Amino acid sequence: MSIKFEKVNYTYSLNTPFKYVALKEIDLDITPNKITAIIGATGSGKSTLVQHLNALLIPTGGTVTVFERMISSLEKPKKLKDLRKKVGLVFQFPEYQLFEETVEKDICFGPKNFNMEDAEKRALDCLKLVSLDPNIKQKSPLDLSGGQKRRVAIAGILAMDPDVLVLDEPTAGLDPKGAKDMMNLFQSINQTMKKTIIIVTHDMEHVLNYCDEVVVMDKGRVRGKYLVSDFFKDTSFLKELNILPPSVIRFKEELNACGFSIDEKVEDIQSLANAIVKVVL
Amino acid sequence: MDSLILGKYLPYNTIVHRLDPRAKILMMLMIMVAIFIPAGFLGYLLIAIFAFTGLMLSKIKIKSIIKAFKPMWFMMMFLFVINVLEIKTGKVLVEFKWLTIYDDALFQTLYIMVRLLLMITVTTILTATTKPLDLTLAIEDLLTPFKVIKVPAHEIAMMISIALRFIPTLIEETQRIMKAQASRGVDLEEGKLKEKIIAILSLIVPLFVTAIQRAGDLANAMEAKGYIPGAKRSRYKQLKMKAMDYSLLGVCAFMIVVLIVVGQVL
Ligand SMILES: Nc1ncnc2c1ncn2[C@@H]1O[C@H](COP(=O)(O)OP(=O)(O)OP(=O)(O)O)[C@@H](O)[C@H]1O
Ligand SMILES: [Mg+2]
Repeated sequence: MSIKFEKVNYTYSLNTPFKYVALKEIDLDITPNKITAIIGATGSGKSTLVQHLNALLIPTGGTVTVFERMISSLEKPKKLKDLRKKVGLVFQFPEYQLFEETVEKDICFGPKNFNMEDAEKRALDCLKLVSLDPNIKQKSPLDLSGGQKRRVAIAGILAMDPDVLVLDEPTAGLDPKGAKDMMNLFQSINQTMKKTIIIVTHDMEHVLNYCDEVVVMDKGRVRGKYLVSDFFKDTSFLKELNILPPSVIRFKEELNACGFSIDEKVEDIQSLANAIVKVVL
Repeated sequence: MDSLILGKYLPYNTIVHRLDPRAKILMMLMIMVAIFIPAGFLGYLLIAIFAFTGLMLSKIKIKSIIKAFKPMWFMMMFLFVINVLEIKTGKVLVEFKWLTIYDDALFQTLYIMVRLLLMITVTTILTATTKPLDLTLAIEDLLTPFKVIKVPAHEIAMMISIALRFIPTLIEETQRIMKAQASRGVDLEEGKLKEKIIAILSLIVPLFVTAIQRAGDLANAMEAKGYIPGAKRSRYKQLKMKAMDYSLLGVCAFMIVVLIVVGQVL
């Protein structure tokens, strides 16, 4: 049940003058049944990395092992359908994923390809899960707003009922409330169905509030994998990575800078308040 | 699709890259003419030396030419069979019961192969060493004299440059839709024939839809920036012929003359 990267390299346009090394010597283990965040600056290779999870990209060096399936540069992988049923990937740009004539058809596309039963019913359920009005199901996905497209894209993958859910910046283009609802949805999927969830994000609040572990990428390399609770403790490391910590952490830091000494674990407003109460009283 | 080398610009800075694109187009046309002057293998040898020098100078891998030639093998075989059955002149090479092969049949096929190979080489040199935009500027310039007979030189060039600009975009678009479908269970490589056909159909529809949307957006963006077809426009990039360009054009012209003479003598 695990996902493992070993010495993975990936070069775009290999063997041409345009070649570009996007991943370098990636060694990584993703813990099953947890929510893992992948963070890193623009262009650091996050999207490239996650496309290896369902073998959309085949490493140009090293191996990726997903559910005992080993994907390596040495042999052309065959029969990838099972793997793709198990690992659902929501693309960074929803336009990259929607292609059917209607929303309903697009959401049904996955379930139908995997010969799942009652695809239409699934589609309707998933539309509701991502809080979309079921009336839009006959519209063309290309006529929707950015946020609606994003939701349809997510619904299309949820409908496949994958064991691992990979989301590339799933909340970009959503309003703050919509983003929060979406993250809550992923969290409940993780908790109730014990699915492994991997989220690429730039939002540290989301990392702190919803994720268990965090993978830091930097210029095509993995800088490290940390428990979220440890990660935000080391503020000098965060500074080095150019990451602005979530606001509750910053609040705590500023209080400490003013002479308080809060060293309790702070992860949301409630625990911050409790910690302050403890120190003040 | 990464192997789509033919017609792809290679970003080097060689002598051939630095030639004036108009000169390069004219040279290509002249060599094309030269290829069709009947001057025997001697003539082809001359053109081949010229073309392959260009190939070497522009750092194109011979491999890529061979790759571009590959799809034509089938046609060549077909042609050879027809030639063997049809051409009954020249010396007898093989006699085998009802089948006689004459050497002219062999030569005819070889000639066509050599011509094709040379044409591929020459066009590859042109497109690999000239930026698409320069190419269209050059086409516009070369078409300008025909404005007298109402040829819309600028519009043609604009259309070509837009079309060229969108080839890579469409390829990317195709790849991304294939990825989206693959990640939702379409198996383009191993599926059954019926599945493959359905997959390809579901590739074409969205491709057309997005291409048409893109075209609309582009037209709007151009209008918003004040583009008026047919209006008088100045140009940022000025092309300039240098001594090298003129002398190479001279060489090509000379080659044509030589080939005609050789053809007459033979
Ligand atoms: N199809 C491609 N061909 C060539 N290079 C590419 C391609 N896709 C991505 N790259 C390059 O690979 C590098 C990593 O890209 P990637 O999309 O993985 O970054 P990212 O970390 O997801 O960035 P972002 O946060 O902006 O989404 C970038 O420098 C990009 O230019
Ligand atoms: Mg990305």
